[in-house]
Amino acid sequence: MEFLYSLFSFFYQFGDAFAFLVLSACGLAVIFGMMGVINLAHGEFILCGAYVSTSATHMGVPLPIAIALGSLAAGIAGMIVEVVVIRPLYKRPLDTIVATWGISMIVTQGTLIVLGTTMAGSGTPFGSFTVGDYSYSIYRIVLVVMALATLAALWLMFTKTRFGILARATIQVPHVAEALGVNTNLIYSLTFGLGAALAGLAGGLYAPTMTLVPTMGAAFMVEAFVTVVVGGADIFLGTAPAAVVLGFIKASLTSWQGQLAGQIGMLIAVIIVIRILPRGISGKILKERA
Amino acid sequence: MSSASRFTSILKLIEGPQTLGKGPKFWSGFSVVLLAACAYPAFADSYDVGNNVYFFNWLFMAMGLSLIWGYGGALSFGQTAFFGVAGYAYGVLTINLGDAYGLTLLSLVLAVGLSALFAAILGYFLFFGRISGVFLGIVTLSVTLVLERFMAQTAGPEWAIGKARLNGFNGMGAMPSLTIPWPGGNIVLYPDVTLYYVTLALLLVCYLGLRILVNSRFGNVIVAIRENPMRAEMLGYDVRKYQLATFVIGSALAGLSGVLYTSWGNYITPASMGMTAASLPIVWVAVGGRTDLTTTIIGTLAVLMVFQSLTIYGSQYALIVMGTLLVITVLIAPRGIVIALISPFMRRKSKLEGER
Amino acid sequence: MAILETRQLNKHFGGLHVTGNVDFALQPGEMHCLIGPNGAGKSTFFKLILGEHLPDSGAILYDGEEITRAKPFERIRKGISVKFQVPGIFKELSVQQNLTIALQHHVAPEILQEEIDRLLAFLKLSQDRKQLAGNLSHGQKQWLEIGMAVALKPRLLLLDEPTAGMTPDETFATGEMLQELNREGMTLLAVEHDMAFVRQIAHQVTVLHFGKIFAQGTIDEITADERVAAIYLGEVDA
Repeated sequence: MEFLYSLFSFFYQFGDAFAFLVLSACGLAVIFGMMGVINLAHGEFILCGAYVSTSATHMGVPLPIAIALGSLAAGIAGMIVEVVVIRPLYKRPLDTIVATWGISMIVTQGTLIVLGTTMAGSGTPFGSFTVGDYSYSIYRIVLVVMALATLAALWLMFTKTRFGILARATIQVPHVAEALGVNTNLIYSLTFGLGAALAGLAGGLYAPTMTLVPTMGAAFMVEAFVTVVVGGADIFLGTAPAAVVLGFIKASLTSWQGQLAGQIGMLIAVIIVIRILPRGISGKILKERA
Repeated sequence: MSSASRFTSILKLIEGPQTLGKGPKFWSGFSVVLLAACAYPAFADSYDVGNNVYFFNWLFMAMGLSLIWGYGGALSFGQTAFFGVAGYAYGVLTINLGDAYGLTLLSLVLAVGLSALFAAILGYFLFFGRISGVFLGIVTLSVTLVLERFMAQTAGPEWAIGKARLNGFNGMGAMPSLTIPWPGGNIVLYPDVTLYYVTLALLLVCYLGLRILVNSRFGNVIVAIRENPMRAEMLGYDVRKYQLATFVIGSALAGLSGVLYTSWGNYITPASMGMTAASLPIVWVAVGGRTDLTTTIIGTLAVLMVFQSLTIYGSQYALIVMGTLLVITVLIAPRGIVIALISPFMRRKSKLEGER
Repeated sequence: MAILETRQLNKHFGGLHVTGNVDFALQPGEMHCLIGPNGAGKSTFFKLILGEHLPDSGAILYDGEEITRAKPFERIRKGISVKFQVPGIFKELSVQQNLTIALQHHVAPEILQEEIDRLLAFLKLSQDRKQLAGNLSHGQKQWLEIGMAVALKPRLLLLDEPTAGMTPDETFATGEMLQELNREGMTLLAVEHDMAFVRQIAHQVTVLHFGKIFAQGTIDEITADERVAAIYLGEVDA
């Protein structure tokens, strides 16, 4: 019995790590995979989602709707950023990473000035349950389900909807898509908006579990970065398997040595992976299939 | 070739295609600035002079980033990691060794060496793994962010190396300043006129040394790698080794900044490796014009002074201005504002010919 | 002995064989052109020789020495040099600097300038030495890259469509340049589409089709071969 308890505990840790990696990375991965842009303001879209959804819950909006609002707000903010800053830089992808860093600084410090050093949280809903000697948060299980649902929704969106098909066409052969009458600018805006909305979703979902401070976005960045580095440009063949592998490493190290060891171990694992698989897991898979 | 003529041929590299500024006009301007910098302590309060060494401390890291990013084309967004490693190493070493017998100078060398070693190990995995542009940026940034978090949780008494407590979030203090052993009494480099001159001299040596480096054959190759790594490899260069060497030199300079800063303020905190700290060198170097050492220095000093004068209103306002400056630079003057301002006057210099 | 030889060279991506069991030999002093319809595996074959791709099986020998898994820069140091299809030059650097970088690691500093001047004259770029390479015309960029490749004093020069995008006059001048290099003893292997150019320079022609050697011979033999004409018209399947 003791063994089953610790097995459950490990799976809980793993699911928690997996969900955090998927949710924090998928917005970054969508934008990188489709546009080749690494969005360093990713953490600030997460911040936006967290703050908007928490404010909404303070106003009495039910949590699921509040989270959707947070995601929507981040998505709209993302589309504005795309038009103003990203679009002029399409031909200079390395410059967009620097420009989005500038935006990140402006948003973090602006939030600090306008809303102060911290915002009252909304508390984790649903309570907890007990297995063996330990109690576990039900909300963490909800987050795992949400991570899987997000992946499923993205898969449906990119394979079954008109937007998804046009988006993939635009990314692969922009001039052909344009010649066929696709509004490529709109597609880029929507894609960036989608990435930002996913970041906002992560922010909204995790807001009830964290302290809300203007620099909270940075807490997601390392996980989002390493997942994208290992996963490469493809969200389904890359990000999801990367999150499984990294989640396993993180959960093992976390249950052995604590939270920080999980993070350090994950980063070291990634740096070693780079030496072996320079194009990430999806690069490896795609190369095999090409 | 005799050693004397070899020496002069090395000295000639102080001017060359990879550096703006050549000929009598540039060097007389340079001399005027240098003389002004030397004369400055005579006209100012020694307390202010010591405080203003602060500006010089950062220039080493800025030049290192210019070398790696501007000349070498590698996005290293985590230079603060090497700053922090060297800063903490200096603290730990000097607290344990003390400041007698020039041991602080030994600590400086060891701390800078440690940051270079760290860069060599990290760089080996990254460059020999042939990681591409943006990935290099986010991995190096992740490294500095994780180091910050690691140091921030070392508050407990178990986190001590010898006599040195790491002190977590609050940072480490009370390490001795750099001390030069001298007959008739050690010279302690408190923030004062002496430290000013020592730092200025160090800066001059590094600046001129880097000018020679970037105009040398090594410099030719790293610029070639920035322009077209495949072509460089197909000219027979082992691109990975050149990238690694550039990364180690640039990071050692960040380490030097870290030691000088720690010794100057007798203090270092984990925040020096955080997201905000990591973003500032990017702003200085991008605004100045990262592809040239001189514009990098001008830009860094200008931006630092603007930043300092704005922090009177609160550092968050200053940081908003920094972020805005960065976005505007990238959008309007991607080669840097200083380069954009001087380029109309330097039409005939081949380095700026034919702006895209 | 052949200067370059491939034995049973294989490379496939997934199920698709891009080169299948290629046995190829290049004699010293030869000017050899590699032709074939799009997708024939020409550029993959080139990348295998350069080490940009590693083969799944088979061997590559340079001067009798196996280089199958050597790193690209190691092959260059053995005496192979390459000119890419898209001009691979250092755009933000001057013409003179481009050549300096190509020359500096095997030419003594005292004679560096002399060598640069000689190359500039050969490339007809003496007037443009201070110009940024990115500002040159397309044809001049191609020449500059040929100059950089030649600066290494290679024994074997690989050229991937060296005349792509050139005017007929530039193409002809390029042909003369290559013939001059060949007279000085350099072996050349070029992928080329322009049949007039192939006729101008090639001693021997190899036709690749679906990753296999389809025909080999002089240009007259090849143009007389009806099967070769047919594959260009898409009438023959592998």
